[in-house]
Amino acid sequence: MRSRVWLTILLSVVSLLAIGPFALMVVIALTPRYSPVLPHAWPASLTLDNIVGVLSTESFLRWTGNTVIYSAVSVVAVLLSASMAAYVFARKRFPGRDVLLWSLLSTLMVPFHAVLMPSIVIIQLLGWADTYWGLIIPTLANAQAVLLLRQFIRALPDEVFDAARIDGAGDWRVYWNVVLPLCRPVLATLAVFVFLWHWNDFLWPLVVSGTGDTGTLTVGLSTLDAGHLTIPELMSAATVTGLPCLLVFLLLQRRLVSTVGFTGPGR
Amino acid sequence: MSRLREPLTVLVFLLPVLVLFGAFRFLPMLGAAGLSVTDYQPGGDVEFAGAENYASLVGDDHFLASLRTTLTYAAIYVPLILVVALGTALLLHSVPWGRGFFRAALLAPYVTSLVLSGVIWKWLFEPAGLLRDPSTVLPALAVVGVWKGFGYAMLVLLAGIRNVPADCLEAAKVDGASVWQRFRHMILPSLRPAIFFVVVVETIGAFQVFDLIYVMTGGGPVRASYTLAYAVYQYGFTYVEIGKAAAAGLVLWAIVLLVSLTQRRAFERNP
Repeated sequence: MRSRVWLTILLSVVSLLAIGPFALMVVIALTPRYSPVLPHAWPASLTLDNIVGVLSTESFLRWTGNTVIYSAVSVVAVLLSASMAAYVFARKRFPGRDVLLWSLLSTLMVPFHAVLMPSIVIIQLLGWADTYWGLIIPTLANAQAVLLLRQFIRALPDEVFDAARIDGAGDWRVYWNVVLPLCRPVLATLAVFVFLWHWNDFLWPLVVSGTGDTGTLTVGLSTLDAGHLTIPELMSAATVTGLPCLLVFLLLQRRLVSTVGFTGPGR
Repeated sequence: MSRLREPLTVLVFLLPVLVLFGAFRFLPMLGAAGLSVTDYQPGGDVEFAGAENYASLVGDDHFLASLRTTLTYAAIYVPLILVVALGTALLLHSVPWGRGFFRAALLAPYVTSLVLSGVIWKWLFEPAGLLRDPSTVLPALAVVGVWKGFGYAMLVLLAGIRNVPADCLEAAKVDGASVWQRFRHMILPSLRPAIFFVVVVETIGAFQVFDLIYVMTGGGPVRASYTLAYAVYQYGFTYVEIGKAAAAGLVLWAIVLLVSLTQRRAFERNP
């Protein structure tokens, strides 16, 4: 019994270390202007003024909008393109299938910095620098998504596909009316991961958009510093950047935890 | 369905993925090799430069120092994240109540961005000046990296611990095996594959550390945190030496490959 209590206390301490910095961030973001901030003093009152102030600057609004577009469009496009490919990888025979699948997977072994320069040269040659095309399209090549969906579709019972065939359904009907509905749970999990990857992505938005018209929140946040902003303003910007991820995670954590082995530590 | 239409359908279903991977994964792999032997300039002027970029890297003290800095960072980060992840996974596995709550708390840093972690921790480290001292900057960065990343490793190890049969552990306990003996002789052996996976994945991650450096130190102080991945970015985007940046990127790739192969060998040799 005593060891259980100690175990709980130890785990509570570690958990506090994990979420403590977020708690500090939020408290400081809510500290009124011109009053001392932590660790010097606990705020006498809390205010949303800093967060409202940050959210009403033109640049921060633009970064937020761009991040929403970057994440939302990528989620839809990755799920569609990856599930289409996964369907034929899982259910069709064609020459070169396994070689092709393995070469897609082999791209996971390539550090992004190794292909950074050629990727940006391609973007410049296409005239896509600081455009949504340049920001979004290259990040849609997602091998983890293809692999995860292929495993899932392969494990579906053959009878489902036979029944659809007997009913005279063509490949598009099978894909749209059978595969996608059956894949709903794994698609939901994948959507969460793709959302988090893009919302948190940094290097690619940095080199394609910088702080230009299509700049995102992470890049914007990285340009803010304590020299130009007050600490509460800086932490408000950080809160706005991080809160959507924490909320999505809290709502959907069961999905994330069950598939984590498949997806790698993120980008 | 006619047999003739089948290959066409397959092609159409594959087309988006083929185009995406072709243009933005495979073409850049070839392009990296190509760029690294040219003196490409953003205007479009290209001239063959042979091994010039590689020679320039070998002659560049900052580049050689960045290799050592990257290795040092990895040597601090990988053991630290393994210990933290293993410790939290064991605690989480054994805690009798509130497991879901604790798991959510421990995973919170993992779902947020490195940029956000960097901004918060830069402020937290400010009073102690850890980022301004060349001897503490790498450990400080590694602590933030571990804080941000251990949740993933913890989940992988937790899944491994679950594979140890609970009744065997119970039987060992009845037979008087201590906590340490149960860990050393029952849990640890069955965790080997999970530990191997975590070490490889986290080593590869450590060699690519970039976001934290960019946000927290900019490679300083006096280049004490100037890592390989940061050097690639600097060559390419600060000095606009694109061929040299591509060559440095390929060196990073080679090192990552070499390290993962070596680790695989090491794990296979010591069963």
